[in-house]
Amino acid sequence: MRRWLDTLTNRTILLLLIGIGLVHLASLYAYQVALDHEASAAGEARLADRMLTIKRAVMSVRPEEREPVAHELSGGAVEAHWSRTEHAAPGGAGSADWEPLKRKLHEMAPELAEGQVIVGSSRRGESDPHLAFVSMQLPDSSWVNVSVFSRLNPPASSHGAILSTSLMALGVVGLSILIMRWITRPLSAFADAAQRLYSGAEHVPVREDGPREVRELASAFNGMQDRIRRLIDDRTQALAAVSHDLKTPLTRLRLKTEGMADGAEAAGIRSDLDEMEEMLDQTLTYLRGDRNDEAVRRIDLAALIQTLADEAADAGGQVTAAGASPLIVEGRMLALRRAVSNVLQNALKYGGRADVAWSREGDAGVIRICDAGPGIAPEDIDRAFQPFVRLEGSRNRETGGFGLGLAIARSVILGHGGDITLANRAEGGLCVRMTLPAAGAPPPSPETL
Amino acid sequence: MMFLAGMTLVNNAGGDAFASTAAPHVLVVDDDAQIRQLVARFLKDNGLRVSLARDGLEMMDAMRAAHVDLVVLDLMLPGRNGLELCRDLRRETATPVIMLTAKGDDTDRIVGLEVGADDYVAKPFNPRELLARIKAVLRRSAMPGARGGGNAGRAYQFDGWTLDLLRRELTDAEGVLVDLSGAEYDLLLSFVESANRVLSRDQLLESARNRTADGFDRSIDVLVSRLRRKIERGGDASIIKTVRGAGYLFMPRVTAR
Repeated sequence: MRRWLDTLTNRTILLLLIGIGLVHLASLYAYQVALDHEASAAGEARLADRMLTIKRAVMSVRPEEREPVAHELSGGAVEAHWSRTEHAAPGGAGSADWEPLKRKLHEMAPELAEGQVIVGSSRRGESDPHLAFVSMQLPDSSWVNVSVFSRLNPPASSHGAILSTSLMALGVVGLSILIMRWITRPLSAFADAAQRLYSGAEHVPVREDGPREVRELASAFNGMQDRIRRLIDDRTQALAAVSHDLKTPLTRLRLKTEGMADGAEAAGIRSDLDEMEEMLDQTLTYLRGDRNDEAVRRIDLAALIQTLADEAADAGGQVTAAGASPLIVEGRMLALRRAVSNVLQNALKYGGRADVAWSREGDAGVIRICDAGPGIAPEDIDRAFQPFVRLEGSRNRETGGFGLGLAIARSVILGHGGDITLANRAEGGLCVRMTLPAAGAPPPSPETL
Repeated sequence: MMFLAGMTLVNNAGGDAFASTAAPHVLVVDDDAQIRQLVARFLKDNGLRVSLARDGLEMMDAMRAAHVDLVVLDLMLPGRNGLELCRDLRRETATPVIMLTAKGDDTDRIVGLEVGADDYVAKPFNPRELLARIKAVLRRSAMPGARGGGNAGRAYQFDGWTLDLLRRELTDAEGVLVDLSGAEYDLLLSFVESANRVLSRDQLLESARNRTADGFDRSIDVLVSRLRRKIERGGDASIIKTVRGAGYLFMPRVTAR
């Protein structure tokens, strides 16, 4: 039910059905009440008329013929008798219901005085709300007694009412589907455009037509799109400018160190320069984010990991690497190289060594990089992925870097439709596990790229 | 001879690498005066003749004024940028071009190579890396049969593999990209260019020195075993054969494309 109510169309149908149902019920009730009233008024007049006719007919014949005449004129709901005494007594169950009949009798036969008409129940004490006794006195003090069975309500034409209600409901459902389709179609276009705005580079204008509210929304959406694009373009340009402007003095410094005598000082300056370049690189990579123009290709992950492991080993790191090759994934070479390299360098920096293993598990290529360091406190594991966060305690500033390594790795891996998790090893040390969809598996959807 | 302001001629100061013949003449185009001067001094110290230009106009003037063996061209220049200049240059001459690009910007790199540059060095660059690239490009352009016009479209194929010189990448028969380190790439290129000839360790080391900035940190044997691991999948030891006491032999038939 919750799921069904999720769409605007279904909610509208439901609301309209409830609303129309209520209105329909209310009007049906009012109509029925009015109809009942009309019917009973007509019924009383007819009944009163018949009683007076009986009374006059009985009155006009000789006394010994009166009872047979009264009997003759009985029928249906009415049974009439002539007698010397009245049969009716005022009051009794349902007498209030008969009050209008009494008024009608007085109205139609003004010659009958108050007291000459008794409407009520049987004098014999049988009080039945469906049975009324009416006694009318003749001028010679004898009485015409009429017993009337309760007016039967005319049966409501319930079949017709149900049919008309159902037809109306069907119409409402049909109409509301049409209306909501019409209204929500531009909304789907908006959703589509918003998706493509995120994943693609091209401008995706939404057509500005339809009802006025939708036109306004489309126009506002297109305006917002332009502003976002301008913002991104500005940022990209700013990044390029910063990158170029910082790289020029760095290049100069590098060139100047070449003129220096080789020694501890020159080596120190070069290593500082390396570090600055690395920071600049990491920051730019992070800020560039998913605005990545690199093409997705089929890549042998095993070769990539071997290159990185060899490089790290050549630089003096303790690295082991093991896995079956090739391990083929679809991805962006430079981005994946950076992601794996960041995790590998982290392991060496904070964990003293890196044991790299890779394999194919089902539809995924899995890389595990474990170290022998102190690990990360369980409550810090989520924080470790946040940009510019350096976990204190296990990590300090002397080890270099400034907290972008894992953030970049995660954004790259997630951008490839994969996942990255951290876990402490029981025997000590941290294990980073990265999974990537292996080639042949469905390619990552655009919105995650 | 007429030189414009901002352009300096640095004479060959007796470097040893190119002492026998006239030292190669390199034109450095960069809008940063200090970088121009520093690069000039460094290259001059390493035995090259160097001219400098600040932008495209000065570059064209310098190339009309004297024969230039190689142009080092910055991508970001005032006026016409490096890509446009490279394209212009390619239309008129076969002079080799090395582009200076922004680091990590793959698009710049590929576009630079596609407009006809022979190689690229990412800024901020290691000067020795630049020198190594200059020497490698000069050596290639001096090879008999070398055609001008950069590496565009140049590739070698062997045993199902493709070594693309433009993108500096190796792909297998299914088009899967197999990552190589710089040294592995250079080693493989040496093998491919001397296929079916036994190469001694010294020869390999020598040709590697011509290409790579810091030479090899590792012995040739280690590098060969790393390369084998990547291209001889599944223990198929038929690509690089060890010749006992002599060196290595690259077995597959190589076709240039």
